[in-house]
Amino acid sequence: MEIERPDGRSPNQLRPLACSRSVLHRAHGSATWAQGDTKVVAAIYGPKSGTRKNENPEKASIEVVWKPKIGQIGKAEREYEMILKRTLESICIRSIYPNTTTSVIVQVIHDDGALLPCAINAACAAFVDAGIPLRHLAVAICCSVADDGYIFLDPNKQEEEKMKAFSYLVFPNLNVSVLPERSSQEGGEPTAHGIITSVTHGAMSVDDYLHCLERGRAVSARLSEFLRKNLEPKSSSESSRAG
Amino acid sequence: MEQRLANSWRQTINEKNFIVTALLSELRVDGRRPFDYRKLSIKFGKDDGSSEVQLGHTHVMAIVSGQLLQPYKERPNEGTLAVFTEFSPMADPSFEPGRPTESAVELGRIVDRGLRESRAVDTESLCVLSGKLVWAIRIDIHILDNGGNLVDAANIAALAALLTFRRPECSLGGEDGQQVVVHPPEMRDPIPLIIHHLPIAVTFGFFSNENIMVIDPTHHEEAVMTGRMTATVNANGDVCSIHKPGGEGVNHRVLMHCMKLAHVKAGDITAKIKDAVEIYNTQRALRKIKRHSSSVALDVGGTPAKSGEKESQVDGSHLHQSKLKDEPSSMECDATSSGQEQNDKRDGVSQKFIGGPSSWDPYSECVNSDLLKASLASHGPATHRQQKGSRSETKAEVPPQEMKIDSSPTDAGLVAVQNNEGKTLKDAVKPKNKRKKKKVSSNTGN
Repeated sequence: MEIERPDGRSPNQLRPLACSRSVLHRAHGSATWAQGDTKVVAAIYGPKSGTRKNENPEKASIEVVWKPKIGQIGKAEREYEMILKRTLESICIRSIYPNTTTSVIVQVIHDDGALLPCAINAACAAFVDAGIPLRHLAVAICCSVADDGYIFLDPNKQEEEKMKAFSYLVFPNLNVSVLPERSSQEGGEPTAHGIITSVTHGAMSVDDYLHCLERGRAVSARLSEFLRKNLEPKSSSESSRAG
Repeated sequence: MEQRLANSWRQTINEKNFIVTALLSELRVDGRRPFDYRKLSIKFGKDDGSSEVQLGHTHVMAIVSGQLLQPYKERPNEGTLAVFTEFSPMADPSFEPGRPTESAVELGRIVDRGLRESRAVDTESLCVLSGKLVWAIRIDIHILDNGGNLVDAANIAALAALLTFRRPECSLGGEDGQQVVVHPPEMRDPIPLIIHHLPIAVTFGFFSNENIMVIDPTHHEEAVMTGRMTATVNANGDVCSIHKPGGEGVNHRVLMHCMKLAHVKAGDITAKIKDAVEIYNTQRALRKIKRHSSSVALDVGGTPAKSGEKESQVDGSHLHQSKLKDEPSSMECDATSSGQEQNDKRDGVSQKFIGGPSSWDPYSECVNSDLLKASLASHGPATHRQQKGSRSETKAEVPPQEMKIDSSPTDAGLVAVQNNEGKTLKDAVKPKNKRKKKKVSSNTGN
């Protein structure tokens, strides 16, 4: 059986990742994240004092603004904002800055599939760039299920449209030791914090979903490594931004 | 203590005095002379019609899109042009999401006036069916970073995006010639817009002392200056618009001086825009040639796997470099998941996995590209699947600087592609170093 993807990748292969931090000068923290052609810029401002009316003033709150490439904000963008907000709230240490608001602004530069995972990864990198304390990092991945049950990772837009179902999964960054010497795959069992976020589109069987989870968790190790690699050199020379 | 401190950036009196005093001796805070522009860089996105402009610290993105709509009643033969400005909250802590502020509206109007009233964009060529269907061109300007002088940067971004935008070709069909058929880009090449000239906006800042005038103010200077003027001029010396909204009264001699300066700057910037667009167009033409040559290969009768692979292989150097980079990541990923997966369904897939964890970590240091190719080539024969074998095989060909393409439409095309392949492959061969350097520079640029 031919498992053929239009751009020649294997089912488990991610598109090339690119991440750069501190791309903007006014924002307190900023990062771009690109997976293949999908590119997203995230910027962080905050924490600012005061929370909005229906937010809990005992904790730091996060406000997300999603800017699409063309046009006004619609229902889909509001949903993305909500998912992003809840995901980021679970990775931030909210008790440190009570009664403050941190603004996250996400701008879509190009959408070629797996947009929400890209945005989550970008926001996470931007948080690190801003120096806001986090409980742990998060990596997001998109798994799609084809009609015949095969699972493809990181689909691009064409593939997403053809697939029977796809799901966005966010895993915590594995608690692998960050020692300088690299032991190859000796990650050990992930200290199972579980799945942070899972959003599915389309109908898939329970088995398919569980397979998606396993594949996603396996790939999240690769993504975590990439993320840590990106974040390491900066952390020593980071200076606080007063804005 | 003020609420929402992070929202307001207040300039101190010391900063104000420093800027003004320095200007009295013709010095600016960032080391420029009063009539110098900051460094301008114009980049383009993957799609036609999207541009990113950086003018010093100011970062602006413009996207051009087109739709078939009904024309205005008064002008049934002309297409329409609309400019939408988004002052993204990421650009400045004082920008709020929601309704555009007056400065956003002002910026949109300046760009719009420069393009529409000077007839820079030919709207009559956008008419498809008179009175019924015309192309409505929409320019979305996103301000990503406010480092001052948003108008000029936004104008340049809009022009660059317009120059690279391509609209699908459409023809009239049907019995009465009233049906419009829009051809997809694969069938017929999309066509560019007709732009007669480039109206460049040049912004001046005036300070309380009459003789002080600067071009391209930064946001620190904008907070100090007492008057501003934006002159939209094209390289031929035509004045497309002058926008001086109130502020400090300025002597007419100073204004004439400004107009002459604007003319000179417009020439410079026009040249820069045209160069950047040239480079983009040649790259685009190359991508097209590669796409065509690969589709010919498909007809000639390689297996679908091979030709599909070929297309991805030739489809732009960045994809090639992505292959090089991702191959190791995919191999390692497959290894771990093959360890974890027990499922029968995946047996067909697992055949392509390289058994056992790979001890090669691509991210430990800047990877020597020769080492990369050699190891890839050595991994190639070990796999079962033919596709992977053919992929690594062609990778082993990469070391020779020229790539041989088996079939091609014309010899001339082949030669051109080969020469450029040599250039682009070199770029592709050093991708990791470039990327790492970019990250490092973004670190040090902080």
